[in-house]
Amino acid sequence: MQNFRRITQGIFLLVFLFLFIKTESVGNDELGYPVKIFLDFDPLILMTTLLSAHNVEKAFYLSISLIVLTLVLGRVFCGWICPLGTLNNIVGPLRKRNYISGASDRHRWKYYILIFLLVSSMFTLQLVGFIDPISLIIRSFSISLYPLFNHSIRSFFDAIYSLNVPGVVEVSESVYSLIKKSILSFRQPVFNQAAFIGGLFFLILGLNLVEKRFWCRYLCPLGALLGILSRFSLLKRSVSEGCNSCGACAVVCQGSAAPDKKEDWKDTECYYCWNCDDVCPRNAVSFGFKEKKARASMDLGRRRVAVSALTGLITVPLLKTAPLSRQDFSNPRLIRPPGSVDEKEFLKRCVKCGECMKVCITNGLQPTLLEAGIEGVWSPVLIPRIGYCEYRCTLCGQVCPTGAIKRLDLKDKTEVKLGLAMIDKGRCLPFAHATPCIVCEEVCPTPKKAIWFEDASVADRTGRVKKVKQPHVDLALCIGCGICEAKCPVLGRPAIYVSSVGESRSKTNRLLLP
Amino acid sequence: MDRRDFLKLAALTGAGLAVPDGINRFAGMVAASEKVDLVVAHGASPSAITKAAIDAFGGISRFISRGDIVVVKPNMAWDRVPEQAANTNPEVVATVVRLCYEAGAKKVKVFDRPVNDPRRAYVQSGIQAAAATLGAEVSHIDERRFRDIRINGVAIKEWPLYTEILEADKIINIPIAKHHSLAKLTMSMKNWMGVMGGSRNMIHQRLDESLVDLSRFLKPALTVLDAVRVLTANGPQGGSSSDVKRLDTVIVGVDQVAVDSFGATLFGMKGSDLGYVRLGEKTGLGIMDLSRLNIRKIST
Repeated sequence: MQNFRRITQGIFLLVFLFLFIKTESVGNDELGYPVKIFLDFDPLILMTTLLSAHNVEKAFYLSISLIVLTLVLGRVFCGWICPLGTLNNIVGPLRKRNYISGASDRHRWKYYILIFLLVSSMFTLQLVGFIDPISLIIRSFSISLYPLFNHSIRSFFDAIYSLNVPGVVEVSESVYSLIKKSILSFRQPVFNQAAFIGGLFFLILGLNLVEKRFWCRYLCPLGALLGILSRFSLLKRSVSEGCNSCGACAVVCQGSAAPDKKEDWKDTECYYCWNCDDVCPRNAVSFGFKEKKARASMDLGRRRVAVSALTGLITVPLLKTAPLSRQDFSNPRLIRPPGSVDEKEFLKRCVKCGECMKVCITNGLQPTLLEAGIEGVWSPVLIPRIGYCEYRCTLCGQVCPTGAIKRLDLKDKTEVKLGLAMIDKGRCLPFAHATPCIVCEEVCPTPKKAIWFEDASVADRTGRVKKVKQPHVDLALCIGCGICEAKCPVLGRPAIYVSSVGESRSKTNRLLLP
Repeated sequence: MDRRDFLKLAALTGAGLAVPDGINRFAGMVAASEKVDLVVAHGASPSAITKAAIDAFGGISRFISRGDIVVVKPNMAWDRVPEQAANTNPEVVATVVRLCYEAGAKKVKVFDRPVNDPRRAYVQSGIQAAAATLGAEVSHIDERRFRDIRINGVAIKEWPLYTEILEADKIINIPIAKHHSLAKLTMSMKNWMGVMGGSRNMIHQRLDESLVDLSRFLKPALTVLDAVRVLTANGPQGGSSSDVKRLDTVIVGVDQVAVDSFGATLFGMKGSDLGYVRLGEKTGLGIMDLSRLNIRKIST
């Protein structure tokens, strides 16, 4: 059974990685793969989004099948499917022997976390993305691990390339081009907070040193949700008379299921990995549908449950009393992806999975730090100097699992305003330095250009009059895509820049009469 | 002595009459093909007029030899579809690729350094698919392959240029004729921006000089100007079909200044309206005055 399970885990991990790598444009309008499907099957996001936004993308109803699966087979998702669980499994051998946690009650932590998340989302605060395992792994891969992987491979082959040893370079370059085509990204991805988000991920993997699958046992809120469902599952475990309490099963248990406790085995903590069955020297362990229900209660403690719920409740006003929550207050630097819903609704939906940042064709979508408040940490923000919004690209809306970014067709996309561009006359070459430059107008993608010129005669230092074209922004036509800012030759602080004022999604962050 | 001087000399001395038969025939062949400075082909099929224009210009084998590595440089700078006339027509590009292989080229390479996302520009322009099916190597720019090159121009002294174009045996430039707010029109000479690395946007500060510098340095074997559809306003990327005019025309020549000077007439302008064309003539890069050129017009 162990090999069968490992193969299954391997297949799901490979599917996950394959879809992750395919979350990248090859130049067509659509990706052609269901890249967000692991998120669609996440019932935790389904529940918290229903609670916070009272409405959820239809694809999330797929996750009901995971609920049904758990009601039949128990928490098999954790043991057989979850890519984060599998990674924890892989690094598990870092710790030589498992520590047998007899009386530890750390496994309860995750239930408190779950209660906290459910209560806060009930009161509009969607924090699940920080800690939901699927969001977490996609975000960590997108922002940090995949860029890290790309950088390592690229530097390696670039080093060989620059050494330029005849005979070697030809071979290395052909290998490199193969790798580039299959598993590397088109360009080296770069992200703000890459080190931080990656560090957190390595910390989670590192916790396996404290105890194998520390994350899954003690912290994972999806595991907690599935654990609760596992109480009612049909597949149960039983131990026959042959058991001589040798304790071999306790050592190999991946969860905190206390398999050596026979009837007091904790079904909520079992991943159904079958290790205890495999290892039992007397073949006393069996799983079946006709076994008795486990006796052990969850025993979370009423007080602790109440405290978790209360914490969830109090966190809501705690985070909602920042100036950004005021209706008439917007952060000018918070340029959301095209198709984003109004900020309040956006925060209720976004789970910070990083799919949009992974797929963004220019790398312009970056994780926020505090631009959107604490609840908005790691949600997407467009930073035009890193990458503008490509006029005919609609990929972020296609991969967003939650509808925080709506899926737009090409025509709608080209009409959505992310904000507006404005010119800094103190830095703009034709305004401030009597020097010709038309780059912002040249790259402006709207069919009738949103940048127009005023022919002006400007004197330079010697008094010689030069004819230049001075750019102006037509606010009615500008869509705030930021390509002008991205390509402005005035490096550092550009002479034209986009801010969020005028964004279509907001009824208040407006500039022109509608 | 270039070909034009040779012809003048031959005419003056009557050398053609004095030399033996074999050489005479050779000279006659050269003269027949040399008579024409530009071919302008008009017709409904982009690929037919491209082939007809090149044939009327002496055939591709006049420019491409067996075993050549050829760089075919289209304009595919924008995430636009062919109907929007922002990138070179894919059929024109494909036809040139096909002719090169028919002439025995060892390899035909197609690339550009786009302004928009390269993947989208290559795919949406239709050029990647059209050229690759004919066996061209359509590759994205590899940033490692730029090298600082001294070109000793007036405006550009040194600039990172793409080494693949410098290493090619032959270069064929296939621009599209379009409106541009500063250059007024962009055609063959402006297409060299696609092999510039670094912050090439800076050259707009001295655009005319820069374009002449680049054109003098890169010297294509042949220029094929695509005017199947031209963009008359809101260039260089357009977007609205009302700015696109269908001219069903292709212009073939070697002299970049002459090609661009003729191209201007398609927009109701004169070559002398364009700063880089004037400067190109002034500095001896080519001929702007159309009356001094032998222009052959054909229809298919």
